[in-house]
Amino acid sequence: MNADGGSAVRFDRVSRTYGGGPTGVAALREVSPQFRRGSFTAVMGPSGSGKSTLLHCGAGLDRPTSGSVWIGGADLAGMSQAQLAVLRRDRVGVVFQSFNLVPSLTAEQNVLLPARLGRRRPERTRLREIFDQVGLTGRERRRPGELSGGQQQRVAIARALLSRPEVIFADEPTGALDRSTGKEVLALLRAAVDEHGQTVVMVTHDPEAATWADRVLFLTDGRVVDELDRPTARQVTERLSRTDGQP
Amino acid sequence: MPTALAWSNVRSNRTSLVAAFTAITLAVMLVVGAGLLLTSAHGDGRLRDLMSLFAVTAGLSGFVSIFVVAGTLSLHVLQQRRTWGLLRAVGMTPGQVRRLVVAEALTVAAVACVAGSALAVPQASVTAAFLTRVGLAPGGFEVALAAPPFIVGAAVGIVVTLLAALTASRTAARVGPLEVLRDSAAPARVLPWRRAAVGLAALTGGGVLLRVTSTASLTDAVPLGVVVTMALCVAGSAFGPVLLRVVGGLLAAPIAALDPGPGALARAAVTVQPRRAAAVASPVMLTVALACTFVFAIAIADTSDGRERAGVQFWAVVLLIGTAVVYTMISVLNSTAMSMSTRASELRLLRSTGATPRQLARALCWESLIATCSGTLVGTLIAVVSLGAVSLAGTGAPWFGFSLPLYLALVGLCAAGGVLGALLSTRRARRGSLVTG
Ligand SMILES: Nc1ncnc2c1ncn2[C@@H]1O[C@H](COP(=O)(O)OP(=O)(O)OP(=O)(O)O)[C@@H](O)[C@H]1O
Ligand SMILES: [Mg+2]
Repeated sequence: MNADGGSAVRFDRVSRTYGGGPTGVAALREVSPQFRRGSFTAVMGPSGSGKSTLLHCGAGLDRPTSGSVWIGGADLAGMSQAQLAVLRRDRVGVVFQSFNLVPSLTAEQNVLLPARLGRRRPERTRLREIFDQVGLTGRERRRPGELSGGQQQRVAIARALLSRPEVIFADEPTGALDRSTGKEVLALLRAAVDEHGQTVVMVTHDPEAATWADRVLFLTDGRVVDELDRPTARQVTERLSRTDGQP
Repeated sequence: MPTALAWSNVRSNRTSLVAAFTAITLAVMLVVGAGLLLTSAHGDGRLRDLMSLFAVTAGLSGFVSIFVVAGTLSLHVLQQRRTWGLLRAVGMTPGQVRRLVVAEALTVAAVACVAGSALAVPQASVTAAFLTRVGLAPGGFEVALAAPPFIVGAAVGIVVTLLAALTASRTAARVGPLEVLRDSAAPARVLPWRRAAVGLAALTGGGVLLRVTSTASLTDAVPLGVVVTMALCVAGSAFGPVLLRVVGGLLAAPIAALDPGPGALARAAVTVQPRRAAAVASPVMLTVALACTFVFAIAIADTSDGRERAGVQFWAVVLLIGTAVVYTMISVLNSTAMSMSTRASELRLLRSTGATPRQLARALCWESLIATCSGTLVGTLIAVVSLGAVSLAGTGAPWFGFSLPLYLALVGLCAAGGVLGALLSTRRARRGSLVTG
C-alpha cells in the first residue's frame, strides 16, 4: 500500500472477537481505518460499539483476532510482547479513562515512567513545561491518591505527551473533566498535532470535544459506518442520533 | 530504574512489606538460632541427643519458610495486578516486570537477613536457658557465637526469597497491559499447568513413599512418615486453590445459611478468590500436618516399643512444635492482613450500601475461619494418611492413638491468628470515616 507514506496508523481488515463459538462477541468486524500523520481523529459511537477495542488494538495493548495493524512501517502482529512494550514506551502514548497512574509513584514519577523505562533522561525544562501545560505546577510531588480524578487524568495526559510520541491514543480523556479543564486538555492534544506533527486518536462521547478533531469516525456494532471531515457539533449530534437509532 | 521503582513500591505497600519482611526475618532467625545451638553443642558428648533436635528444627524452619515466603510474595504479586498491567501499558517489558518483582523482594530480604541474624542471638540464648531449666541440657550450656550459622541463615533467606520471587515474578510478567482496566480482584487462573505438574509429581512421590513407609521397619518408618507428610504438603499447596474452592465451599454453605448476609459475603470471597484464601490456608495445613505427624509418630513408636516417655522428651517435642506453630501463626496473621489490606475500598463500598461495621467484622471472621479450617482439614487428612502408614509399620494396624487437647490447641492457635489478622488489618476500613482514603 502506498498510503503508508502518510499513515501513522493503519488498520488492515482488523477483527477482534471475544470468546469463541456462537456465544463469541465480535467487538470489531474487519475494520480498515487509517490515521494520517499529523491528524486528529475522534472516534464515536454507541456504548459497546468497539471504540475502546479499536484503540487497544492500535496501541498494541490487545492483539486482533485477524487482520493487521501497522504503526509507521511496522506490523504489530510480528512483534513480541517486549517489542510492543518498547513501542508503547517510545512511539505511542496511551491515556485510559481511569486507573492511569501507579499509586505508589508521585505525579512527576508517573509522567517520567516511560522515559525512565527506556533509560532516557528528559530535560527538566521539558518536564516543567509539561506540568505547566496541564496546569499541575506545584503538584509534582503528590501521589495519585492525593489528586482529584481530573488532575489524575491530566497527569496521564502529561505522561503521554512528554516524549512527543508519534501517536497518542486517548480513551475518553475528557470524560471525567469539567468543561473548561476538558477544553484545556483538548487544546493540548490539538497543539500536539499542529505544532509537533503528532497523530492523535481520541474516543469521545462528547460532540463538542469531537469538533476539535479533523475527522470523526463513527463506529456501530464493530464496523466503521461513517466519517465526517471538519465536523461541527451540530453535524456530529445529528449523525449520532441516527446511529443511536439503529439496532 | 527497576530498583528505584521497587523501592517506592515497597514503601507504599507497607502491609506487603511488613509481611514479607516478617516471614523472611523469622525464617533467618530460626535457622540461625538452631545453627548457633548446634555449633555450641558440637563437641560436647552429653549433648549428642540435642544436636539432632537442633538439626531437625533448622531443617523444619527452612522447609516451612519456603512455603511462607513463597505464599507471601505470590499474594503480593496477585494484589498488584493493576500496577503490573499499567506498567506494561506504559512500556515496561515482561522482563523488566520480572526484574522489578525480584529486585523488590531482594531489597526486603537483605534487610530481613540482618534483622533475623540479630534476633537469632537472643532467641538461641533463651532456648538454651529453657533447655537447661527443663533438664534437657546440662548446666552451663551456653550459646557461643560462630560465623557459619549466620552465613547459612543468610543464604537460606536469600535463596528462598529468590526462588519465591522468581516464581511470583512469572505471574506478574504474565499480566497483560489491559488488566489495568479490570478490577484488581479479577480472578486469576486457579490451576496453571505448572502448578498442576508440581502437585501431581509431589502426590505421586508421596504415594510411592507411603507404600514404602507402611512396610518399613519402625525406626525407618518415623522419618519416612515425615517425608511423606512433606511431599503431600507440597501437593496440597499446589492444589490449594482448587482444594479451597471445594473444601471452603462446603464449609461455607452452612455458614451462609446460618448468617445470610455476612456468611454469603465470606463464601463469595473464598470461592471467587481461592488463591487469596489458599495463601492463608496453606501455612495452616503445613503446620497441622507436620506437627501432628511429628508428635503422634513418636507416640506410635513409643507405644509399639512399650515405652513411656519421660517429661524431658516431652519438652523437646514442645520446643520443636512450638517453633513451627509460632511461625505459622505469624504467617497466617501476615497473609490475612495482606489479603485484607487491599480490600479497604470494597469494605467502604459495602458500608456505604448499608453493611454495618459489625456485619463486616463477622464476614471477615467467617472468611478467615473458613480458610484456616480448610487448611486444618487438609493438614489433618495428610497427617492421618502418613500416620496410618507409620502405624502399619509399627503395630501392623492403621489405627493409632492421639492427644485431642494438643490437637485442639494447635488448631485453635492457627484460627486465632487468622481472625486476628483479619480484624487488625481492616480496622480502619470497617470503622473509620467513609470519605477519606
Ligand atoms: N474483555 C472482554 N471480554 C468479552 N467481551 C468484551 C471484552 N471487552 C469488550 N467486550 C465486548 O466487546 C464489545 C466492544 O467493547 P468496547 O469496550 O470496545 O466498547 P466501547 O465502544 O468502548 O463502549 P463504551 O462507550 O461503553 O466504552 C462490547 O460488546 C463488549 O461487551
Ligand atoms: Mg470504551
